[in-house]
Amino acid sequence: MSRHPDLWGLPAEELARRVRGREVSAAEALESALERTARVEPLIHAYLELFEEAARARARDIDRRVAAGEDPGPLAGVPVALKDNLNLAGHRLTCASRILEGYVAPYTATAVQSLLDAGAVIVGRANMDEFAMGSSCENSAYQKTRNPWDVGTVPGGSSGGPAAAVAAGSAALGFGSDTGGSVRQPAALCGVVGVKPTYGRVSRYGLVAFASSTDQIGPIARGVRDAALATQVIAGPDARDSTCVERPVGDLLATIEDGIAGMRVGVVREIAMALSSPAAPVATAAATSPTELGAAAELDPAGEVAASFRAALAALEQAGAELVPVSIPSLEAAIAVYYVIATSEASANLARFDGVRYGRRSPGAASLAEVYWDSRSEGFGAEVKRRIMLGTFALSSGYYEAYYGKACAVLAQMRDEFTAALGRADVVVTPTTPSAAFRLGEKLADPLAMYLSDTFTTPASLVGLPAVAVPSGFDGQGLPLSLQIMGRPFEEATVFRAARAFERQIGWQVAPRFRGAEVGAA
Amino acid sequence: MALTTEEVRKIASLARLRFSPDEEAAIAGQLGKIVDYIDQLQRFEAGPAGAAATGAAALPPLSPVPPAPPIAPRAAPEADDLALPCLPRETFLANAPAALDGFLLVPEVKAGHVPVAKPGVDDEPPS
Repeated sequence: MSRHPDLWGLPAEELARRVRGREVSAAEALESALERTARVEPLIHAYLELFEEAARARARDIDRRVAAGEDPGPLAGVPVALKDNLNLAGHRLTCASRILEGYVAPYTATAVQSLLDAGAVIVGRANMDEFAMGSSCENSAYQKTRNPWDVGTVPGGSSGGPAAAVAAGSAALGFGSDTGGSVRQPAALCGVVGVKPTYGRVSRYGLVAFASSTDQIGPIARGVRDAALATQVIAGPDARDSTCVERPVGDLLATIEDGIAGMRVGVVREIAMALSSPAAPVATAAATSPTELGAAAELDPAGEVAASFRAALAALEQAGAELVPVSIPSLEAAIAVYYVIATSEASANLARFDGVRYGRRSPGAASLAEVYWDSRSEGFGAEVKRRIMLGTFALSSGYYEAYYGKACAVLAQMRDEFTAALGRADVVVTPTTPSAAFRLGEKLADPLAMYLSDTFTTPASLVGLPAVAVPSGFDGQGLPLSLQIMGRPFEEATVFRAARAFERQIGWQVAPRFRGAEVGAA
Repeated sequence: MALTTEEVRKIASLARLRFSPDEEAAIAGQLGKIVDYIDQLQRFEAGPAGAAATGAAALPPLSPVPPAPPIAPRAAPEADDLALPCLPRETFLANAPAALDGFLLVPEVKAGHVPVAKPGVDDEPPS
């Protein structure tokens, strides 16, 4: 038993302060986190692998450095969960796919190195949807992760493992990749904070690529201050990722408590108009086709997301913000644009998994062609294949202009609309997700219904904006809901300031109840 | 848009994937439904005319705000033309399914059935 059994519940910022100040040791912090993990992991299955021994050695090293008068950095001794698509040299990495069975990371991702340089202790690799393709973590080839608030529901995805681990208290911080919402959506469903930094803010070197024009690494934390601290640690230019820009990050915590008096908060009219009609909360009044936003509206039939969003707007106003209407008419096309562009890029990026250079080779393959066909057909799961197929279709001769070309044209329009919106407002808000956590298995048979979970998160990915998902309350079943705050490119500080003001206003506590589990345990 | 089994096979071939007949039928249905959804893109007209048509121009005016720079994709900076150390060969090959004498090892390229496909030897699934 750790001498400090409750250290797991401390914010990362406070824990690092105590470790740096020699009030507690990194080893004690780690043991507390591992004890917590031993209790909650059987309920939620967040990790594919715990690096207990490596983590203990690392914690001892940090304690030695502190004892020698060194400062290990702003995340000294902070237990961190990594999504299983971030390379950490010498450790296995699978992207939760059979095709990467046996792969050992030959190098460390730049963002992960930044965490190590800041004193973090990596405790394990956490579950995800295979190759980051999914919104429920059910597409993992290895296990299904459960939501700590209700273990009969999904944690969201694709970074469901890190989100569940952070919500349950087995790591103070989690890191995932967000291509269309894969950090923000699971953070929302698990009642924690999730960040997608501006495209170009964080190096993707060492992140296994899904859709290179939107992939971005972001943190998951139990509070906005920790999320800002973690973003600051991993941000910055990197010669190994040419999309990563030379642009000062600044001190994201310096202005975070300054409040939002006078801040202009843009409310996307296409949502707000619909909110006046509780029966059709996320459909635009102008929607004409029942197959389009009607399907999204079905995700919130009771209007709970709409009600929560209205309450969030009221809280922002009480905190001093000025609400202004903005218009993103292309919002309703975001899922269509995203699933053309992202799958097209994925079909190219995943061509490298062919059984030749790394990962699993089909044992029966007798020719080079069989190596390609059999290794891919046996190694990829159903959703990955579906997306490779969709992307290959969208890029194929005769369809390219109608799908990929058209998606790029609508994306250009969306970019113009956000430029106009963020000219009128300092930040733009939407719900993060169209529903709270759904039941395990509920959407597995209907890929399109699953895709619609990303309705509100895909625009910031496509346009490259910074976005933070911050808990906003509960639905009628006691499951967390979330507010998404988007900002101008590279203005993370403004987004965090708004998120922190909102968090203070509603007084959120991350206290999952593990409903449905046989506890005592947590 | 309904996809035929033939079309599914063609796409699968381009993607180097193989499906059982049951899987082909399931994928044809799923992709067809997704493509139907994606077809809503055809309603969108790009550019200011399209934006106006969908209602973007009708917001109430606000007092002046500082103009925001347009959000645009950035051109990637050019890298210096320098040779830098890369992953050591043995480190890379440690993950290879098969290697010999410092090279990746694969089965014979022309072993087994070789379809007489147009662009390359591996464009049709091997039998």
